[in-house]
Amino acid sequence: MTDDVLLHAHELSLEYLDGSRRVRAVDEVSLTIRRGEFVGLVGPSGSGKSSLLFLLAGLRAPTSGHVELLGTVLPQKADLSAALRRRHIGFLFQEPFLVPYLDVRENALSHALDAEAEARLLTLAEAIGMGTMLSERPHRLSGGERQRASLLRALANAPELVLADEPTANLDHITGRSVMALLREQTRDAALLVVTHDPDMLDGADRILFLRDGKLQKA
Amino acid sequence: MAAKPPPPVRALSPWTYLLRNPRRIAPVFAIQALVTTLLVLIITPTNAFEATARANIRPLEVFTIVSPRVRRDFDEELVGILDDNVAQEQRVKAKMFWLRTPMIVGEGYAPMIALPREVWPQFLDKLSSTLIEGRMPESGQDGAVLHEAVVRARGMKLGDKFGQLVNPQDATPGRFTLVGVLGGYARIGLASYAYASEPYFVLARRPEFRVIYAREGRKAASDTYLRDAKHEDGEPAFRVVDATFVEKRIAKTLANVPVIIGFITFSVGVVVALVISLLNVISFQVRVDEFGVYLAVGHQRWPLVRKLAIETAAVAVSAWVVGLAVGLAGVWLYRDLWLEPRGIVMTVVDPRPLLFSLSVPVFSTLTGAIALGRRLHRMDPVTVIQRRGV
Repeated sequence: MTDDVLLHAHELSLEYLDGSRRVRAVDEVSLTIRRGEFVGLVGPSGSGKSSLLFLLAGLRAPTSGHVELLGTVLPQKADLSAALRRRHIGFLFQEPFLVPYLDVRENALSHALDAEAEARLLTLAEAIGMGTMLSERPHRLSGGERQRASLLRALANAPELVLADEPTANLDHITGRSVMALLREQTRDAALLVVTHDPDMLDGADRILFLRDGKLQKA
Repeated sequence: MAAKPPPPVRALSPWTYLLRNPRRIAPVFAIQALVTTLLVLIITPTNAFEATARANIRPLEVFTIVSPRVRRDFDEELVGILDDNVAQEQRVKAKMFWLRTPMIVGEGYAPMIALPREVWPQFLDKLSSTLIEGRMPESGQDGAVLHEAVVRARGMKLGDKFGQLVNPQDATPGRFTLVGVLGGYARIGLASYAYASEPYFVLARRPEFRVIYAREGRKAASDTYLRDAKHEDGEPAFRVVDATFVEKRIAKTLANVPVIIGFITFSVGVVVALVISLLNVISFQVRVDEFGVYLAVGHQRWPLVRKLAIETAAVAVSAWVVGLAVGLAGVWLYRDLWLEPRGIVMTVVDPRPLLFSLSVPVFSTLTGAIALGRRLHRMDPVTVIQRRGV
């Protein structure tokens, strides 16, 4: 592997029991994500996109296979990979999941690891049009603003990899595209993996992966 | 002008949550404060039994009363034994009675002593007691002077008669008339020895007593001598009524009070703790997203459990402090408005309710933190994220 490989998944599989039925949510998926890449992951509902994302993040333990983040194999237990995740991965979820009693700045910095995060946040907030909203509580923000606030949180530690799970699903099309544009713009030096139903949101992606029944169909 | 720097971020500080969510923590806070207040209000007045009893026996810090243990009167041998007491300063013949005073529950007893007229001034002087109302009794008459607290407690006024001949339920034999009120720290009553010794009267059948004054600084030695004194045949010589004797009786009488209070407090503490942990778990439901995301993005579980434990403890301790303050204010009012006018002594700042009520924050913190810690320990962040994503 070359130095610019951030994440490498090796024959990842995830199985679970749904009643008495054994479900193979992810089926021997191998993939590599490099620094600066924008990768889209699409597929029908239930194809295993989110499951794969959680495997890649170390939040789920694979039934077989493993994930290497910056050359380090992620431990099976999510708790043991927590520090790696916090340091190197930024998350963007379908819901912003902002803490209601914290303002935007506090939400963003609640996961910050270093003293420079504050300065980074101010620059970033200006860049994505949230500079004047840092002291606002989430209930005063629109849906798009909340997602942008969660973008601030995702990028507070300047992560090398950003994993986004349907980040525009709850936004209208225009707002969704605007959030995606900001996301892409702010992660030029990192790698970005976006799970989405909507291929329109993957404009400019370096690669689009298609997942069906847990198997990677094409790259 | 330079922009004002933003305040430091304390997003995960327990205090940030507590200060910004007062309505959310209010029920838990209120229950714990209320229960603490109730415990203080219930437990503190129980010290009135002991405090009043101790106030009633304070005169025994100045003198000791003895009566023959096996003989009817102070014969020559007994008087000789008394006079062999090198720690004794003076002995005075007396008769002793107890005056019943109502308590919160049950009754207390204050001493009344019948002494020869000529020793009254010295007796009152040693006790720092003074006549504050009415007059001193006449020798050979039924007059009696009682301490103001006893007068208040019994709801008496000058001229009132008391004793078993007036009221068969009364603990004091014979009949006396209240002619004066004494002030001072010592709750003592005084009557005429000559009257109490009238041969045709029931009081004559009261056993003889001697009031013993010890020399300066020798009271303990004198009391020890009196307790250990024996007849030639080895029988104890005296029944000694001193502070130690009465304190032992008080302690014996009240021996079960701490057990009862302990049981009540423990039960209340456990019930409150369960209620609090239930409320904590319910209020945690609305924070599932918050902690789910913290875990998902890489926070360790232990600092989050610690954060929850500190939040729980902070609410419990502050509720305890507020509950104590309210309870103490209530107890203070209770004493001033209700107990003192009835001659009942109560210590407002009593360490027992403080100590017992500590079970509320301790149990609540333990059960609350354990319940929340278990919830957090079992929490799967992916479930939280996916549930919202459905």
